[in-house]
Amino acid sequence: MISNFLIIAWRNLSKHRVFSFINIFGLAIGIAASLLIFQYARFELSYDRFEPKGDRVFRLEQDRFNNGKLSTQWAAGAAGIGKLVKDNLPEVESYAHLHGTNGLVVNYKDKEFRENNTVFFANDAFLPMFGYTAQKGMQAESLKDVNTAVMTASAARRYFGSEDPIGKVISMNKKKDFRVTAVVSDPPPNTHFHFDILLSFATFIQMNGPGAETAWGWDGFYTYLLLRPGTDPAAFEKKMADLVHSQWGPQMKDTKEGIAFHLQPLRDIHLYSNYMFESETNGNGRAVYFLLVIALFIIVIAWINYINLSTARSVDRAREVGVRKVLGSYRTQLVGQFVFESLLINALAVILGLLLVIGCLPVFNVITGKQISFSLLAEGWFWLVLTGLFLAGTFFSGFYPALVLSSFKPIAVLKGRLAGTGHGALLRQSLVVFQFAASVVLMVGTFAVYRQLRFMQTLDLGIRVDRTMVLKGPNVIDSTYMAKLSAFKEEMLHEPGIVSMTASTEVPGNKVKWNAGGIRLVGSDPTRVQQYRVLGVDYDFMKTYGFHFLKGRDFSKEFRSDSAAVIFNEAAVRQLGFGQPGEALNKRIEFWGKQYTIVGVVSNHHQESPQAAYDAHIFRLIPEVTDYYSIRFHGDENHSEAVMQAAKRQWAAFFPGNPFDYFYLDDHYAQQYKADEQFGKTFGVFAVLAIFISCMGLLGLASFVTIQRTKEIGIRKIIGAGTPGILLLLTRDFVKPVLLSFVLAVPVTWWLLHRWLENYASRIAVSPWMFVLPALLILVIAMGTIATQTLKAASANPSRSLRSE
Amino acid sequence: MIELKRISKWVMVGNKPNFILKDINLGIKEGEFVSIMGPSGSGKSSLLNIIGMLDDASEGEYFFLNQAVHGLKEKHRSQLYKQYIGFVFQAYHLIDELTVYENIETPLIYQNIKSSERQAMVADILDRFQIVGKKDLFPTQLSGGQQQLVGIARALIAKPKLLLADEPTGNLNSRQGEEIMDLFKELNKEGVTIIQVTHSEKNAGYGTRIINLLDGRVEL
Ligand SMILES: Nc1ncnc2c1ncn2[C@@H]1O[C@H](COP(=O)(O)OP(=O)(O)OP(=O)(O)O)[C@@H](O)[C@H]1O
Ligand SMILES: [Mg+2]
Repeated sequence: MISNFLIIAWRNLSKHRVFSFINIFGLAIGIAASLLIFQYARFELSYDRFEPKGDRVFRLEQDRFNNGKLSTQWAAGAAGIGKLVKDNLPEVESYAHLHGTNGLVVNYKDKEFRENNTVFFANDAFLPMFGYTAQKGMQAESLKDVNTAVMTASAARRYFGSEDPIGKVISMNKKKDFRVTAVVSDPPPNTHFHFDILLSFATFIQMNGPGAETAWGWDGFYTYLLLRPGTDPAAFEKKMADLVHSQWGPQMKDTKEGIAFHLQPLRDIHLYSNYMFESETNGNGRAVYFLLVIALFIIVIAWINYINLSTARSVDRAREVGVRKVLGSYRTQLVGQFVFESLLINALAVILGLLLVIGCLPVFNVITGKQISFSLLAEGWFWLVLTGLFLAGTFFSGFYPALVLSSFKPIAVLKGRLAGTGHGALLRQSLVVFQFAASVVLMVGTFAVYRQLRFMQTLDLGIRVDRTMVLKGPNVIDSTYMAKLSAFKEEMLHEPGIVSMTASTEVPGNKVKWNAGGIRLVGSDPTRVQQYRVLGVDYDFMKTYGFHFLKGRDFSKEFRSDSAAVIFNEAAVRQLGFGQPGEALNKRIEFWGKQYTIVGVVSNHHQESPQAAYDAHIFRLIPEVTDYYSIRFHGDENHSEAVMQAAKRQWAAFFPGNPFDYFYLDDHYAQQYKADEQFGKTFGVFAVLAIFISCMGLLGLASFVTIQRTKEIGIRKIIGAGTPGILLLLTRDFVKPVLLSFVLAVPVTWWLLHRWLENYASRIAVSPWMFVLPALLILVIAMGTIATQTLKAASANPSRSLRSE
Repeated sequence: MIELKRISKWVMVGNKPNFILKDINLGIKEGEFVSIMGPSGSGKSSLLNIIGMLDDASEGEYFFLNQAVHGLKEKHRSQLYKQYIGFVFQAYHLIDELTVYENIETPLIYQNIKSSERQAMVADILDRFQIVGKKDLFPTQLSGGQQQLVGIARALIAKPKLLLADEPTGNLNSRQGEEIMDLFKELNKEGVTIIQVTHSEKNAGYGTRIINLLDGRVEL
């Protein structure tokens, strides 16, 4: 029986090459796309899933309120919260306490590296909580004592090569020494928290005072809690809120501040957390699910092709069914035969799909920016998904056509009484509608993502980020720093092509980490304080970045009083309570126990990607800042090798012992769009694939219907119909479902677009032509596809088609 | 062998029944060679289909080898049919995707006969019909007469007791027609009961009995 099935299936495949090709190739693309997306999604969803105690580990997210209004949300919150809950709530088994560093220069003998966000102060609860065990050295004592450090295996290799790191001393900024007590394995790629070196938190307390464990107004501390088994998170949050209220409430009341903590399940951090001070840029849960839906769309579209083409061809197959029934076949045997055919096609598609995966993996990696290796072929789940797709495909695409085909009554079909194309036509059209609706959603989505991206990239940022090179400032400094900086600047300005240079605590494209609370107008109600993001800058910052002054003036060396001067931006002025920039001018503010005068007001600028709203910024004159040096230069290019070489030369002269680190600001700023860009590209590629597969199906249907109607076309032409008339006749049936699919897709897409655009503070408006254009494009593609078939038939010589009857 | 009692068949046109067969009473014994004749549209094919269990009567009783066909479930009927009846069509109705050999073999597959046995049986019949040389050709590569020979071979392969043929020579020239009729005659002698529909008096003459239909009734 099976060999008989195989023979007939194979002969059918090779006899109807176009159909076979469309089916197999379409399914293969669907399978390949799904596998790739599954792999990507699986990786994103696997973050922190491996932690043995992961279901009991939570990070504390912190909300700060001003006058009852939410002002800031932190991934790394107040210094004191961890110890407070540990000491008072029995549900807490342990708490991990971490504080980040930026741009530390670490060295061991002559090995010297600048560690960017890879060195953290951590208490001794961190390593056990996250299941890190010592590869070398002592586990139990790690990070307990002052001046001790733990390194990852790769960092240890970087600093020590083949030497044994245990007991060796490394130094931070050549100022503070730490003894390495243990080496742990590297954090896996799929964790939200990566580090190279951990320093004992006890050292941080020694350096900064006991407030590092108790303060409620000092933010920037990651707090992870390991809760005892069986703790109810919601109830615990409530208890925590009560505790915070009773401990800190009275003090916060003075300044009308508020603070709230929420438990973030460890496993949700990577996909769903995006607050201030994230330890690294997290993924986007929504994008992952979007992609999974796209994968589903694509594979379903391919299955639909199979269903449509098989049922359309049922007229062809009907006679065979009739004969077989007369020869004694049961219906179940016929169902078996047709399901077997679908099995064969799906099997071929799986093989081709596998080849496509192997061939496209490098391209896919470029598009998504992920590193998926061929080792996925060795993973069990991969074959599980593949088998799943194969079986589901065989079932979904094979079963319905098999039922339709096997249902024919032999005498009816043998007498040729089967109603021509009527059979399942409604279903077929509905499925085509679905295919194209899905295509429209994807196409409009792609257009919108790109438009939003273009919009952000061409938006007036309020500042200039082109033709600027940024150096990371020196960490190893002494009391002569200020003089050296002035001299360095002087020399740099003498280099050809350099326009200006400025030192600052942050550069555009960075989140401003200096968040200052307690700021108010002098003489105003001391309980009405606000938080602002503060940038420490030198005299040339405003000029270098091209800030637009609305009122007042820039910092100037001519005013000796400018050490007590600040510049506000519009958003900050509004937050202070003024409607007009001019009203704020020359007003004095309280800022951490000192008074400052507002000497200027600048217009808002996009410190971060326009995805974020304008923030309230205060610029404070701090000429001795060390974090970043921004160098603006002349020229047609945004990058300049000459400027870089000059800077490197001067740097070596003025700041020996500090690594020379630089980047170009346009690149740095554009980094923020990378995730969006990749999402757009991925989305676009798969949208095109979906449309492609849909059109292949349409092509198959069109060619089939055209063949079926050859005789009718011949007769119509003989009685006088012209080619356009015939074209219209043939095309009409296809245009209708495509048009209907637009009507159905628009509301869905409209809703999805609005949801997605809500993520952006500066966003494009949703306009009708954003739908019309992609829809027209799809219509044109679909029409073109159909035309390849119908044109041939419509222009054929009628006598030929009739003679062969 | 066959017993039809008050068999009627109608289709509803509008809300009035339109009779195709009316009140047919008919008995056919084993070993007979019956020819059904009558003008076009008189219901010959319809009657044959009912006898062949491809179609149901609207009313009446049908006994085949003393079993009440009208009371049987689809599955049982199909078993009965598979075992005892072979069908030959005017339009041959071979499966285009299968070779001559495979076409003839197919009924055996549906009867779950073992492969070695099938080979022997098919070889036998190819030999008997002298089409061994054509066994690997596809139907489209054969002439009409050859296709009909294959059709008959396929109908006979499972050794049916009853052979039904609806205008088996309708698409053939007269010489080819005669050959088929001679073959039928021979089969009948070997004990196969045959019922054929034909328009030709000459063909009808090969049989042992003629039934005339007119407007869905048997003419006496
Ligand atoms: N499914 C059906 N619906 C309506 N009418 C039918 C149906 N099947 C057959 N008929 C009618 O029943 C009558 C008998 O048809 P049948 O095919 O049995 O004739 P026939 O004697 O075999 O004719 P011919 O010699 O032309 O083959 C015809 O009038 C035909 O129109
Ligand atoms: Mg007839």
